[in-house]
Amino acid sequence: MSITPRWPRMIALVDMNAFFASVEQLDDPDLRGRPVGVTNGLQGTCIITCSYEARRYGIHTGMRLREARHLCRDFVQRPARPQRYARVSQNIMDALRDITPDLEIFSVDEAFLDLTHCAHLKGTPESIGRDIKHTVFSVSGIHCSVGLSGDKTTAKYAAKRQKPNGLTIIPPDRARDVLHDVPVTELCGISTGIGRFLADRGVTTCGDMAKLPIGVLGKRFGNPGRRIWHMCLGQDPEKVKTHVDSPKSMGHGKVMPPNTRDRDTILMYLLHMAEKLGYRLRRHAMEAMHFFIGLRYDGGWLADRFRTDMPVSDSRLLHRLCHYFLANYWHGEGVHQVQLTALDPRPAGQQLELFAARSTESSGAHGVVDRINERYGEFTIAPAVLLNRSSMPNVIAPAWKPYGHRQTIY
Amino acid sequence: MKFSILRETLLPELQIIISVVDRRQSLPILANVLFNSTGQGFSLTATDMEVELVASKDEPLGSTGQVTIPARKLLDICRSLPESAKLEFDASKDRVQLKSGKSRFSLASQPAQEFPLTDIEDFPVNFKIAQGVFRSLLEDTLFAMAQQDVRYYLNGLLLEIGPEKLRAVATDGHRLALKEVDISSNVTDTLQIIVPRKGVMELVRLVGDTEDPVEVYVSTNHIRFQIGHIRFTSKLIDGKFPDYERVIPKDSGNHMIADRETLRQSLNRASILSNEKYRGIRLEVKEGSLRAEAQNPEQEEAEEVIQVEYSGDPMEIGFNVSYLLDAIGAIKTEKVNVVLTDANSSCLILPQDESQCKYVVMPMRL
Repeated sequence: MSITPRWPRMIALVDMNAFFASVEQLDDPDLRGRPVGVTNGLQGTCIITCSYEARRYGIHTGMRLREARHLCRDFVQRPARPQRYARVSQNIMDALRDITPDLEIFSVDEAFLDLTHCAHLKGTPESIGRDIKHTVFSVSGIHCSVGLSGDKTTAKYAAKRQKPNGLTIIPPDRARDVLHDVPVTELCGISTGIGRFLADRGVTTCGDMAKLPIGVLGKRFGNPGRRIWHMCLGQDPEKVKTHVDSPKSMGHGKVMPPNTRDRDTILMYLLHMAEKLGYRLRRHAMEAMHFFIGLRYDGGWLADRFRTDMPVSDSRLLHRLCHYFLANYWHGEGVHQVQLTALDPRPAGQQLELFAARSTESSGAHGVVDRINERYGEFTIAPAVLLNRSSMPNVIAPAWKPYGHRQTIY
Repeated sequence: MKFSILRETLLPELQIIISVVDRRQSLPILANVLFNSTGQGFSLTATDMEVELVASKDEPLGSTGQVTIPARKLLDICRSLPESAKLEFDASKDRVQLKSGKSRFSLASQPAQEFPLTDIEDFPVNFKIAQGVFRSLLEDTLFAMAQQDVRYYLNGLLLEIGPEKLRAVATDGHRLALKEVDISSNVTDTLQIIVPRKGVMELVRLVGDTEDPVEVYVSTNHIRFQIGHIRFTSKLIDGKFPDYERVIPKDSGNHMIADRETLRQSLNRASILSNEKYRGIRLEVKEGSLRAEAQNPEQEEAEEVIQVEYSGDPMEIGFNVSYLLDAIGAIKTEKVNVVLTDANSSCLILPQDESQCKYVVMPMRL
């Protein structure tokens, strides 16, 4: 079957099952068939994800380690290996891109495929769905669930229906009926807050939405609100976003031990963030002129925005900014979080300067240091002040993407 | 102090000076206009401590003295009174009573002696220039001034005063505008001063298109312009303007001569689909033709091809299209001459057969 009036759009959501735990089981055959949970390093106390074997004991994402051990004596804890997950994810995404280039990487373990344009080459929705599952398994050895429908929300809902290793197809003209009795908060993007707003107006299931004028949502939530109305009726208008928008800001933050008052420690955290931000800007050939620096304490944020005289990506210049900030904004408060953000990242060196005042003193050194660290690992070579930096492992961000500026592990 | 004045006499003067009254002032007295009445006439003064405007009239008001009145409120009252209304002022210690027909207003006043006036100093340098000529000097360069740049000396217009030439130069570090006119001044050595952006914007509003003269006086820290009955004084930026002559390329590169209006219109159309933030445009010049291409993040594209006189090597070069349009927009001749060297070097934009102005634009890497 090709695209017919029944399938004006064909969108698939691919969801890797228990992704991090599956990678652990794949890499260590001893773990296969056993209840495994992944935590952020061995210090982590919260389960990021767990295998289906563990889920059978009632263990779930977000559960405390102690509680999981209580439910299942054989529970195996594994520290997360974000770099490895990112590599597996990248392989999978590359393979999916061979099915269609119209791919939106939704998170490290989820992707939307817009099959509208290639469906007539690929056969029936069933065969396309099987093809996707086969492709993912053959490049990674990991099972996935696939949902196929005419819009993103219904496809995502479909993928959730059969886990693990499922394939669910909801033809677009059936979407409205299928969603009719589904609670609105089960759809992706409808928070409990919006759910309450809707429940107050008599809308609890998607089918109820037809009774509510779209303007009520538009007035309260704007265009995202109008989208929700269409979503519930099985007509999510959202397109599959095939390119990552250029970043509006780029930043790094870290939680510190509570009530940190030691000046050198705070400085070290700030400089740590400066190194990470500088590297990330350089890596994506970007620079910025406006920066937010903040220290969080019990009374809120000690923070301000700063402007440099030229767009920069030089970590040394960011260091200077951090020194200035600490000297002028911090007066001994006990702080517990740092944040450093470039507010206006832009492509570097696009507009050439008339007066060659741009400092190039350390750009050569940065290039060499960056290459060493890319090869041998982050901070293999780093300023000496960072020797005692926080050892909390990097975590993979929800907005991670295998290409572009989001390809980072915080 | 009591005096009366016709609405039609006061309103135009208030409208001129109001623009220097900041809407939010650091000092409360800066919200006021200083009314000064002498035997010969009266004057209105407004200031923001950086620029000062004085409007003087030769009409004696009867009584003499000084009083300050809230400027915007006075303007609003004056504006909304009927035509030919007569305004009667009665100023006491900290109040000004204003009567007109059956309307009465009581306004707060501040001591006139606290009004900050520019110190009278010596103006060793002076010259005269026709208003129309001076206006075009400003208009054809001011767009290249920087805005809120950390290099504060770029947030203004460089005036270079020679014995026979007056030159204006503006640059924001990416492009530069230069224009020169003939004058006759009393300087022996060329003098460089930087007029702050605010002063320049104010000045261009005050100068007309006529042959009437502007008298210019320069001191160490100030520049003063007498434009008819208006006296405008601005502080100068205390800084050194960069060596701009160094960055103006020699016109020895490849010349591309185009019809100014055709070029301007096609760049303008292509710019619609350039990136709104970075405004990049790609130019491809080859024998006899110029191709301009723009693309935005939504992957929409524009292409324009025009005929030009060009016989150099084919070249591809990127620019911020706004910079090109600003420069071409300031040129008055029918043809424009664009001198290109390579994709990494600045380009020179000139009016054809005229050497009064020069525009320099640095390329973008696209």
